[in-house]
Amino acid sequence: MIWFLIPVVAVLAVVAYAAGLALAKRRAAGHPQAHSRPQQHGYYALIWVAAPALAVIILAGIFSGPIAQNLISAGLPDVVQDMEPFRRDAFLNDARLLGEGQRPFQTWTGPLAEALESEAARSAGIQRTLMWGGIAGAALAALLGGLLAFAQIGPTLRARNRVEGWIGGLLFACSVVAILTTVGIVFSLVFDAVRFFDRVSITEFLFGTQWSPQIAIRADQVGSTGAFGAVPLFAGTFLIMLIAMAVAAPVGLFSAIYLSEYAGPITRGVVKPMLEILAGVPTVVYGFFAALTVGPAFREFFNGIGALLVGGPLDGLGQYLMLVQNQMALVAGTVMGIMLIPFVSSLSDDIINAVPQSLRDGSYAMGATKSETVSRVLLPAALPGIAGAMLLAVSRAIGETMIVTMAAGLAANLTLNPLDTVTTVTVQIVTLLTGDQEFDSAKTLAAFGLGLTLFIVTLLLNIVAQRIVQTYREQYD
Amino acid sequence: MKLPFFRSPDGREGGTPADPTEAPRMGGQVLPGADAPLDRRDETVLPTEPAVSDAQGEVPPTVTAPAVPVGPTKIAARDISVFYGDKQALYDVSLDIPDKTVTSFIGPSGCGKSTFLRCMNRMNDTIQGARVTGQILMDGDDINARSVDPVLLRAQVGMVFQKPNPFPKTIYENVAYGPRIHGLTSSKSEMDGIVEVSLKRAGLWDEVADRLHSAGTGLSGGQQQRLVIARAIAVNPEVILMDEPCSALDPIATAKIEELIDELREQYCIVIVTHSMAQAARVSQRTAFFHLGRLVEHGDTEEIFTNPRERRTLDYITGRFG
Repeated sequence: MIWFLIPVVAVLAVVAYAAGLALAKRRAAGHPQAHSRPQQHGYYALIWVAAPALAVIILAGIFSGPIAQNLISAGLPDVVQDMEPFRRDAFLNDARLLGEGQRPFQTWTGPLAEALESEAARSAGIQRTLMWGGIAGAALAALLGGLLAFAQIGPTLRARNRVEGWIGGLLFACSVVAILTTVGIVFSLVFDAVRFFDRVSITEFLFGTQWSPQIAIRADQVGSTGAFGAVPLFAGTFLIMLIAMAVAAPVGLFSAIYLSEYAGPITRGVVKPMLEILAGVPTVVYGFFAALTVGPAFREFFNGIGALLVGGPLDGLGQYLMLVQNQMALVAGTVMGIMLIPFVSSLSDDIINAVPQSLRDGSYAMGATKSETVSRVLLPAALPGIAGAMLLAVSRAIGETMIVTMAAGLAANLTLNPLDTVTTVTVQIVTLLTGDQEFDSAKTLAAFGLGLTLFIVTLLLNIVAQRIVQTYREQYD
Repeated sequence: MKLPFFRSPDGREGGTPADPTEAPRMGGQVLPGADAPLDRRDETVLPTEPAVSDAQGEVPPTVTAPAVPVGPTKIAARDISVFYGDKQALYDVSLDIPDKTVTSFIGPSGCGKSTFLRCMNRMNDTIQGARVTGQILMDGDDINARSVDPVLLRAQVGMVFQKPNPFPKTIYENVAYGPRIHGLTSSKSEMDGIVEVSLKRAGLWDEVADRLHSAGTGLSGGQQQRLVIARAIAVNPEVILMDEPCSALDPIATAKIEELIDELREQYCIVIVTHSMAQAARVSQRTAFFHLGRLVEHGDTEEIFTNPRERRTLDYITGRFG
């Protein structure tokens, strides 16, 4: 591998820095008006030695594999050329291993054994050539870059500006990486979602009420052809989101009001960091809590009520409650709501604090009490911002996966009954993409359809929410 | 005794007056500071000419406020000190504020005039760590007494702030805010009446009568400030405190507010904090000058601006510091 050259380049770069520094000092002697300081010349030399060499190394690292493969498969003897593709791949892999001095995986017999020997030698030769080519290229690049830099070093070189330019470029590249990656993710999502919608029509997906994605993987397997109506998933997601917000919105908002208006500095200093720590608990821990603590507790509670009702005038309801299971929308929604409390509270706290003090003073000076000030002045003033915060929380609730996977169940029931098991978009993506899969079946591709829907919905929610919060902040700045 | 932050800008120390004529006085009564040993009086070389000629042509603003008989004492403050945490912001201020009169507090930034103003409706209660000592008698009752509910007190003492702060509600709801929270009326027509009268008194009715139900924050700065005054008088207060009500306004809006203050004087006891000495001279009958947390001098505006007893007052009103 060519990557071992990177430390060598690092050492060369340091040497170039020292040399550039010394050279700049010598050339600047007698020129009091030198444009840049010697260190900046040193960095200039460092960049010109390191950057071209690194570029060559990275290119070589990426492309040497495919090039070697092409070269090897170009000159294969007939006996190898005639093998089935997957055996040929195994053979070539063994040849490469042998060429690198390792033991092949399989034993090849007859003419193949001879071919293996010769192919191993050829493969090793090609690898060696590429490797030395890469090294030579990198060395040449470093040398040319270095010569260029050293030739330029002198009192008039604007090294400071050029080094700043390089640093700016590097920082820009880093910041673009995240954006480009996201764009790549979106493209792959769209690409696969389009393949899915080739098989299943969009209208069926968006408006169908049957969800059972079990498509036969093998031709002889017993299985339905699958149904891809995502409405039960949307309904389940919506139901759980609703329950979660019913828990998180009031509790989070009220705790924010307490923290910003009522709590003394000591309470605030203790409670606020604790809430923020709570926001960092991994969701799988909440899922645990939901599945093993809250679920059984809720089941026992409802079974108990059912047992009381059975035989009475509400016998039917009693019978139903007796059969409630651990996994239900209510459990997942409640625990998700608890998870969202710190999120809602922290955002609302910021927003309430952004309401100008002059409004509070004005209200208190009118003889309003604390709660009157909060309900009649602060909340109306903060309402747009709080609405934005709630939308952000909704978008998190919709995207949340782990808690619902563990506590909501898998059955795609089209129901708004919180005691029923439901399933959500995210849970279905998880189940579709874990276990056996084949990437051109509608079953697997359905995950991309769901993912794209989820992406669009949360993106829109986030955009709207950010807009609201931002205009709200500007209003009071 | 002599804390470094008492050093006045001209290098003299506030705690130990260097000249007997400069002894801090309060209503003719010599402040405790004047009892301090006077052995340092020779350290400062004082000009011997009369103080006025020293002011290099700067003349104090001419007093144009209507001279009216000063009403009976409405608020009597006795030995008020205010502490924010460990820091003392106000030192033993005693002052009588007459009714049906405009009293202005002047002084450089941080001199305690706003702090003193906020004592009179107990707004300092809302500040973490603020502590007030001394007595403030309003019509003879101590407003700092435990039995006094600040909510009821603030219904009697309205306040207008430096920055117009209408609530994010309609103009109508802004004015109706006080009457609603104090339950002054429950009928719609009575509330309409209160809103109309308050807006008329604040001189805003003609400008907003046709858009009572649009947002109060949509008004101009001067209109917002008059809306806030209307909001304050809607609960029929006896005292109106104004904390630099015109410092965020342009001259025309300022003139309107000053005109309004003069009209309101006939019914209310008005206390106004201002940075502008010209404003104090224009609107107030009584003036109190604060410096470094102490009340330096107070009296009729006319007298303060033409014949101040204190050297520091003269320096301030002629613009030599502050």
